[in-house]
Amino acid sequence: MVTDVGHAQRVIRPTRDAEASGGVFTEIGLVTWRSLVKLTRTPVLLFFSLFMPLIWLVMFSQTFGTVFSSAASGGFSGTPLPYDYVAVLLPGITVMTAIQSASQSGFGMVADLESGFMDKFFVAPIHRGSVLAGKLLADGLRMAAQAGIILGIAAILTLFGWRIPFATGVVGAVLITLLAAAFGVAFSGLSNTVALRTKNTESTMMVSFSLTFPLLFLSTAMLPKALLPAWVQTFSTVNPVSYMADAARALILTGFDWTAIGNAFVAIAAFGIVLNGLAIMAFRAQGK
Amino acid sequence: MPEAVSIRPDSQRQVRAARSSKGSVIEVDHLVKVYGGRGQEEVKAVNDVSFSVGEGEFFGFLGPNGAGKTTVIKIITTLLAKTSGTVRVAGLDVDRQGADIRRIIGYTGQSIGVDGELTGRENLWLIGRLYHMPNALVEERVEELLDVLQLKDAANRRAYTYSGGMRRRLDLGAGLVHHPRILFLDEPTTGLDPQTRAAVWEYLRRLHREENMTIFLTTQYMEEADQLCQRIAIIDLGKIVAEGSPAELKAAIGADIITVRITRDEAFQQSRDRALEIARTIPGVSRATIFDEGVSAYTADGGATLLEVLRRLDSEKVPVHQVALAHPTLDEVFLQHTGRQMRVEEVKPMSRSFGRRRR
Repeated sequence: MVTDVGHAQRVIRPTRDAEASGGVFTEIGLVTWRSLVKLTRTPVLLFFSLFMPLIWLVMFSQTFGTVFSSAASGGFSGTPLPYDYVAVLLPGITVMTAIQSASQSGFGMVADLESGFMDKFFVAPIHRGSVLAGKLLADGLRMAAQAGIILGIAAILTLFGWRIPFATGVVGAVLITLLAAAFGVAFSGLSNTVALRTKNTESTMMVSFSLTFPLLFLSTAMLPKALLPAWVQTFSTVNPVSYMADAARALILTGFDWTAIGNAFVAIAAFGIVLNGLAIMAFRAQGK
Repeated sequence: MPEAVSIRPDSQRQVRAARSSKGSVIEVDHLVKVYGGRGQEEVKAVNDVSFSVGEGEFFGFLGPNGAGKTTVIKIITTLLAKTSGTVRVAGLDVDRQGADIRRIIGYTGQSIGVDGELTGRENLWLIGRLYHMPNALVEERVEELLDVLQLKDAANRRAYTYSGGMRRRLDLGAGLVHHPRILFLDEPTTGLDPQTRAAVWEYLRRLHREENMTIFLTTQYMEEADQLCQRIAIIDLGKIVAEGSPAELKAAIGADIITVRITRDEAFQQSRDRALEIARTIPGVSRATIFDEGVSAYTADGGATLLEVLRRLDSEKVPVHQVALAHPTLDEVFLQHTGRQMRVEEVKPMSRSFGRRRR
């Protein structure tokens, strides 16, 4: 231990050579803690990030429900369906919520860069990766909570006559929650990359938001593949949102479709590695 | 990127060796930083800067906005990569031993980097924990700092409710939680009211005096550099134009200035010319010039020369209206070295400036 001796009065006592406490997981945990504390202290944001998806769920299912039913019975099904459109839409809304949160992921990054708080992280003896990992972990937890709440409310709606089968029960719901969070974390890479490269909230918002709707509507998130126009069907096969939506829809309507679930995780992993790879590159380039 | 975070015994040995063998704790040699390139216009923000700071020294970088102060401090604190040159902190190289350097330095940036959503106490706690200090120790240190920085009453309030001065103090505290050996402060009092500025100065003096902490400070205030720093480097347009103690720098410009104002009568022109002739013949006057109201004489010893000037002017019957003796200020030092007056521009605290834009 190196200590400075000979200073009778001290402004603050020295611990400069204090025993190291905690490793990389502590670092990540601290960053996550900070992000979650901030989140809980902006209850308005928290409320609306849940409120909006629920509005969408009700609005879409009411507006398009009858169209869907007649299209389904006349088209791909032939007989009246044993479930409502809301059951088809539910996975789409969970992925949409995750995308929405993911679009906002970069905002915090810009705020920290602007305020100078990021310098506090960078000048501390921690891994730079811990900062990004901690933020993503906090994002993932938030997205899982959002998906969980949406599924929970949907479950409550079944008590009021809404026909949502929940074919795989609680286990399936947990799987959907995981899928949604994983998808959201993967998609966060885009928002964070733009945030780190432009250091500008508006740009971050524009890029992320302008991709959100094409990704959602050119996928099977809103309607089953059979009801989509041919060119959208083609695009939807390369859209990771489709794989996520198909797996989640199977979990709600039919059962454990392990091929779909496997495909979803592969698609999410590929998507996530590319986007977060870009984010990591942008993050490492800070101060270079 | 991944540098080891655990305090390794070898790095400790290095730090100790460097501390005992050498006097200087910061060594900057031929530092160059070029921004831009790749299509953008290249800007040489730091142009061949060399200096060193001794252990326990209070060192200041004085210069106007855009002089390159922040760029230099960010390179030394490992926040920014340099273009060329070498920078060593406590004998450690900024390129290869950044993690070891980060462990022993504290940094308070120009923009106040506190998290407004966290309370004052939480801000300090988080930073302390990020330095891998055990929780109990962090909590103890946080309480000490809140006390010293007079933030105890506001400790449980979220930082966005704080006044500018409180936020600055909190930010300063964040740079001190882990008790750094070297403290870096980038314009620590910009935007503060005079009272708060004085309080921050007093605390910095105590840290330096009682803790023997090495402090590296940048400022655009002459007075601040003069009041606090033992040694100053004046930086302008990316180059160091002068270096020394405030007294040395002032002495170097020909010391004191005697200003003689001549009575405004019909013979004013002749009287002034006569006064200039006389001033130039007086031993000890290094230089004499006329100005619109009279004559200025530069001298190493103002007190003694002043008497001689008055005696000679009186015996030659030059009508003297007023006499003044002034000691040079750092303003004059800056003027002398750059040919320009130093203008202080207030920086907006939330200015959108990070990395390449800041210099």
